[in-house]
Amino acid sequence: MFRIGVDVGGTFTDFLLFDGQGEASVFKTPSTPADPSIGVLNGFRQMADKAGLSLEDFTAQVELIVHGTTVATNAVLTSSGVKTGLITTEGFRDILEMRRGFREKAYDNKLTPPEPLIPRNLRLGVKERITIDGEIDIALDEQSLNEAIDSLAQENLESVVVCFMHSYANMAHEQAAKRIIEEKMPDAFLTISSELLPQARLYERVSTAALNCYVGPVLRKYLSFLSAALDENGFAGVLLIMQSNGGVATPQSMAQTPVMTLLSGPAGGPVAGISFAKVQGHNQCITIDMGGTSFDAALIQNGEPLLRSEGWINRQRLALPMLDIHTIGSGGGSIGWIDDGGLLRMGPESAGADPGPACYGKGGDRPTCTDANLVLGYLNPDYFLGGDMGLNLEAARNAIEKHIATPMGLSIEAAAAGMSNIMNVDMAAGLREISVRRGVDPREYPLIVAGGAGPIHGAMIALEMEIPLVLVPRDSSIFCAGGMLRSDLKHSYVRTYYALTSRADQALMLNYLDDMEAEGRRVLKGEKVDDESRLRMIHAADIRYLGQHNEITVDFDLADFKQRGVELLGELFHAAHDRLYGYSLKDSGTEMEIVNLRLTALGITQKPDVAKMALGEADASASLKGSRQVYIPGEQAFSDIPVYDGDTLVYGNRASGPAIIEQVTTTTFVPPEYDFIVDTAGTFSLYLRQSGDNYVKKILP
Amino acid sequence: MTESIDPILVTVIQHRLKAITEEMGLVMLRTARSPILSEARDFVTGLYDARGELMEQTAYIPILAFAVPLSIKYMVEYYGDELYPGDVIIHNDPYTGGNQPADVKIVRPIFVDGQLVGFSAINGHQADVGGAVAGAYNPGATEIWQESLRITPVKLYEKGVKRRDVWDLIFGNIRFPIVEEDIQAAMGGCAVGERELIKLVERHGHDRFRAHLEHLYDATEQQMRAEISAMPDGVYHGESTAYYDGINPGTEMDIKVAVTIAGDEINFDFTGTAPQTPGFVNAPLGSSMTSVILSLLMCLKDPDLPQNEGMSRPIKMHMPLGSMVNPEFPAASTFGNHLSDQISAAIFNAMADAVPDRVTAPWNPLFAIAAIGFNERINQPFVDILFNGLKGGGGAMQGVNGYDHIGLIACGGGLLAQDPEMFEMKDPLFIHSFEYKADSAGAGQWRGGLGVEMKMEFLGDGNMISAFGDGIDPGSEAGGLNGGGAGTLNQGELLYADGNTHVCASKEMVVGIPKGTVWHQIAGGGGGYGDPFKRPAEEVAREVFYGLISPQAAEGDYGVVVDPESMALDGPKTEALRASHAG
Repeated sequence: MFRIGVDVGGTFTDFLLFDGQGEASVFKTPSTPADPSIGVLNGFRQMADKAGLSLEDFTAQVELIVHGTTVATNAVLTSSGVKTGLITTEGFRDILEMRRGFREKAYDNKLTPPEPLIPRNLRLGVKERITIDGEIDIALDEQSLNEAIDSLAQENLESVVVCFMHSYANMAHEQAAKRIIEEKMPDAFLTISSELLPQARLYERVSTAALNCYVGPVLRKYLSFLSAALDENGFAGVLLIMQSNGGVATPQSMAQTPVMTLLSGPAGGPVAGISFAKVQGHNQCITIDMGGTSFDAALIQNGEPLLRSEGWINRQRLALPMLDIHTIGSGGGSIGWIDDGGLLRMGPESAGADPGPACYGKGGDRPTCTDANLVLGYLNPDYFLGGDMGLNLEAARNAIEKHIATPMGLSIEAAAAGMSNIMNVDMAAGLREISVRRGVDPREYPLIVAGGAGPIHGAMIALEMEIPLVLVPRDSSIFCAGGMLRSDLKHSYVRTYYALTSRADQALMLNYLDDMEAEGRRVLKGEKVDDESRLRMIHAADIRYLGQHNEITVDFDLADFKQRGVELLGELFHAAHDRLYGYSLKDSGTEMEIVNLRLTALGITQKPDVAKMALGEADASASLKGSRQVYIPGEQAFSDIPVYDGDTLVYGNRASGPAIIEQVTTTTFVPPEYDFIVDTAGTFSLYLRQSGDNYVKKILP
Repeated sequence: MTESIDPILVTVIQHRLKAITEEMGLVMLRTARSPILSEARDFVTGLYDARGELMEQTAYIPILAFAVPLSIKYMVEYYGDELYPGDVIIHNDPYTGGNQPADVKIVRPIFVDGQLVGFSAINGHQADVGGAVAGAYNPGATEIWQESLRITPVKLYEKGVKRRDVWDLIFGNIRFPIVEEDIQAAMGGCAVGERELIKLVERHGHDRFRAHLEHLYDATEQQMRAEISAMPDGVYHGESTAYYDGINPGTEMDIKVAVTIAGDEINFDFTGTAPQTPGFVNAPLGSSMTSVILSLLMCLKDPDLPQNEGMSRPIKMHMPLGSMVNPEFPAASTFGNHLSDQISAAIFNAMADAVPDRVTAPWNPLFAIAAIGFNERINQPFVDILFNGLKGGGGAMQGVNGYDHIGLIACGGGLLAQDPEMFEMKDPLFIHSFEYKADSAGAGQWRGGLGVEMKMEFLGDGNMISAFGDGIDPGSEAGGLNGGGAGTLNQGELLYADGNTHVCASKEMVVGIPKGTVWHQIAGGGGGYGDPFKRPAEEVAREVFYGLISPQAAEGDYGVVVDPESMALDGPKTEALRASHAG
């Protein structure tokens, strides 16, 4: 039996295949953006060939496919979603387009607002109004509703959003609209805002609902193509889709909430990261993933990646629980340039994959981070992608010389070192941001490093942050695909319940929680989670001090809450506030407001075991394949350092930095301040030398 | 001994300084409680060197960005060697470098090895600072003491010890307890700035840090000089008018500026600007200087240059003492930040002759109200500035339409309108409607940004409003540029339940507003750029179709005829109309 993680990226589709013995292998095919299911099938053919099976025989033996897809994401990024209409409260039709009047750049008068997802002529107001307490201020005017729907029905729409003011507090009007639309426009993809996101904040809700409609039919079509293609080839296993919240769901449940895939691209990373950290007994970590154009960082506490409740995609607001992944535009392709003041800057412009860095020899002549890494010896010109793609050192040197070194009066090497250093400082700032935001000291978190360019920079970033431990999983280049296979079925629910803690009604709150739990159980049951032992419900509340704008989401235990009531929530909130921001207002008697109740319903999946390696010797010299000149930042000089073949290193092998660990897909740089040891999962574990002995004892049996 | 300069380290230090100010901002955003700070983000975080010069900052709102060094320099002089580790200074006085009195600064001196290396500071708009009116917008004020508690630099903490007497004096004169907590949030942010700056200086050593910092200033200076050099030399004159000083109806005050570009330097001379007014329509020096810099930044090729002392070196300014842009003590000046609308309009008006492709037509001038009353839901008083209703349209520029609903230029689109549902949750106010206002944008080949119209009802009794702004009096709307049309005026009126109506002046307090009264406000559009008859007819027709331009305005302002039935462009009629206009 096989299990497969599939990650459809912009350029490549990655496959991680686990066979019945838990052995993992990696496959890659070019993505086929017009119909991504073709690329997926191509990958299946490759895997079948490798297993010596026909496509049909292979597919029939696949018990699980976990699929990360950017189909919906691309529809938003390229503004190619479907024609959508909006029914909203009269007087509020422009909220979606106004974006609260936000301009992202204060001094850039050339920046114009993005096109709205739904044009103004398709945004129609109807007479109705509900108050914050859910009372009906103006009854739904059926005539104005019917007129609006009739007028939309003539527009050849593929989807419709219904979003009324305060509908989270009383769904009656949206439900009434739903019935009529279902009758008059039976083929339309319909999103009812209070069903998708029963939460206060009109702009967030209408924008999220509009995104759902905008991409819904696109994703639905893709999933039906894919399912058909798999069925044709005899697939009888389970297909699961990766969501932005770090969980997975069946295509059937995703069909209602396609918006949940929008930021799912990097969502497998943190889950993969913690699984490698857990091998060494860590229950928390920071994961970083540095690719060609971006750098993602995420924090994992108590074994769970952290969530946030809102974000942006292509300047549109998205407010559903998603992994808290901080992205900055630093990648291997970031271009170095000199500003008018004569100072070196890196990015935000990127050479991307085409033309790519100068050393790719595809016509790029501007110096990138990857070019600097080549000049500094971190990359081997003859062993990039295992030698499949030669890198042109001369082109890299020329680009750096012309654009950086000569204008700054530096040597090519010093210029390259500067480029690398500035990248490290910026990425460290990204890590600082995610840790400050959560009020944690990053030094207590091992850094898990992934992405093509990550393992070169990982330890240098760690050094900058004084992080003592850096873990580079062996298959770090297809990290996300691995994480997907370890993700649980996950559904997130929210209900706005607004009350001062002193006046909160516990019975009513329990009703809301029960209601969400029932929904979670129903959906999970549809996903074949029948066994009670596989169900887990996580309860939480969004709370703030009276007058604050930002809430903190506080997890609580349901039994505790039943016993101790709202007082428990207050206590948890004070403690969380203190932990995050260094103070609480517990003693000043400041009132607290509950804003939302949340429930996460988990269906625990069976995870593939991390394959355990047999213990080898401490001596790593069997894998020593030579040495080369590599730039050592601390010494500001090149040094001849050993190069290890990472693909042959085994559990227990260790050596001192400085060193290079070379693999087909990745290169890891071990600075002189660190030593490394290979752990039982094959992870290259870089540790600050001064803390070494105790650490090594922990890794060895 | 002079330190050798590592040019890479210069960039590294700049990035670290920037990261520290961002971290300070993050602490502030997450912990401040007043919506003006946490939601409208009306604050700036910064690091300053031992002389008080700007090292780096993160400004969520441009208007607060460049005034802080002025007051820190004053503190350096005022305290001399009486600054110690663990001190926390509070300040708001416009006459020693402050913006408006509601912008309260928290400043921490920072020491490494007993030597002063700099300051961390947060300047933020507080919900109240005492004075006659909650929120400090007192349109009747004629001197500073009627506006707020005047806080010249005073230590809340000395050597790490809280000065309880000073603390109690200050907060005993401020209405809302929330301010005390927001000041603590700012202190927390400054403490983070202090901790991180100490680490940075220790890492590189004092002398090396200082040498590289100076080099950073020089590099930024050079960058600014390169920008200015690229502009044609000359003396360019511009002007604009502010209306109504809050005391004498019908008054008009001109702002005049002569911008001299000579090689790599630029000088802004406000000689000829109206004398200071008897009311609060005066801009303290700090506000005026910031208005100049933010206007200039908008004219640059690359406005993303590092923000430090070097940036301001090639910029000279002259604001005559006793004029509206640099009033003499003890003039009232709470309105000062908002004169940035007129100051930048005057500057763009001048710069239009120098860099016509980089300036916008005037933006909709701010007209705002602070609503004040009692919230029975939570049994507490409330005060809120209606950011939603005040955000009008930005000015258009060559090739670019004005930004819709962006609000005053001093905030550059960083000030967000409240979300309608959150707004109703927080305040006893009920929104009837809140949409774009058709025909509000100034016509043009590139049109101005759209304004908005809002109707909102008071749910409780005994409310008051403090209206402050401009753009109400005829002539005070955002004008067009290079043939573009003007945006519409602002309007604000109270519609009482008994049928009476009160139209608000641009500066006015109204008290005793009963339950059921509706506040009706229109924020006007921005000015258009270029001849409207050159705007592509399809674009005009599309906006008619969207209901953003009326068929009448399309015909009259743009020469575009739209079929009233199908709302589609009538090509032949449009061509004929446009041809007759050209002839």
